[in-house]
Amino acid sequence: MSGNDTGDEYDLTAVTDGTDESLSGIAHGRQLNAFVEAVIVRDREAVDAARAALVESMDLDAMVDAAATIAAFNAFPRIADATGIPLEPAKADFTVELRDDYDLNALNHAGV
Amino acid sequence: MGHFATVTTPIRADLVEGLDAGWRHLTETGSWLTGVQRAEIVTAARAAWDCAFCAERKTALSPQSVTGVHDRSSGLPASWVDVIHRVVTDSGRLTEQWCQDALATGLLEDEFVEVLNVAIATTAIDSFAFGIGTQPPPLGQVHSEPAARARTPYGVPGVGWIATISPENAGDFVDFYANDSHFYIRRALTLVPEECREFWKIANVLYLEDPRVHELDGVERGISRAQMEFLAARASMLLDCYY
Repeated sequence: MSGNDTGDEYDLTAVTDGTDESLSGIAHGRQLNAFVEAVIVRDREAVDAARAALVESMDLDAMVDAAATIAAFNAFPRIADATGIPLEPAKADFTVELRDDYDLNALNHAGV
Repeated sequence: MGHFATVTTPIRADLVEGLDAGWRHLTETGSWLTGVQRAEIVTAARAAWDCAFCAERKTALSPQSVTGVHDRSSGLPASWVDVIHRVVTDSGRLTEQWCQDALATGLLEDEFVEVLNVAIATTAIDSFAFGIGTQPPPLGQVHSEPAARARTPYGVPGVGWIATISPENAGDFVDFYANDSHFYIRRALTLVPEECREFWKIANVLYLEDPRVHELDGVERGISRAQMEFLAARASMLLDCYY
């Protein structure tokens, strides 16, 4: 949706594999990816380094809002997985190809 | 003064207020659980990260292949501790059987939802503190008055494994679904409606109150919408979340 609005193109493999090449389409993608990876796995040394790099490449406000977004998405997946909510019908229909292209159906461990 | 109000890193005011209020509420009496129970859930959620059984299970090909007991740091029933530890450390592999097994121990569906709410809110707030490089907030004042424990008359089976309030028949909860915010993620914890509202006060300041906004019109953030959605999707991927 965002790319349609801004005219930007994004490589969605940035989400699934986080490699440098795939991250190149996202401004400060490498720094953001290092930060989210470190926060999710709770690696204190890595998060300290990633935080510093993110502040240097962007600024403090960006780091804080990155941390906030990551925190929200430390919650939403847990809610979804603990309650077994399925994809909404419209979303399921809209993402058939996307899920196949990026092998996202493999994440459906619960078979919802 | 709340914890995040004292942090030296500059944080936007709505985020400070939302997180501090949300944190305070976690140890107040809720809809089904006392503040004492809720404080124990906060403690258990934090302790999950150091639980040896959880660590062993996390690396196993299947969580069911490993037997053991969780490290216990509270007076909560073992079944509650399993719910808390599993959702905190290995949520991507939770199944309907796991949910049914938890409820079969005598944990009420409403209690299950409030346990999830508190454990997950704790994880989110602690994650933010970890990300910005500050200490996690200490436990707030613990309240001990009894909870009302009154089930909403609007709970119906689905959309997932537990009852929820549907947008089509929400009674006095209908305002929660205003602006067509019918995403299932918003619906998931509605069986305990007032605690659901409290959770979303935290979530809205961390993320966006209305994700349908065009880019970030009228919303103040230090990163772009594209960067937010990248982080959201990447975090979800790293947590093995299908939804």
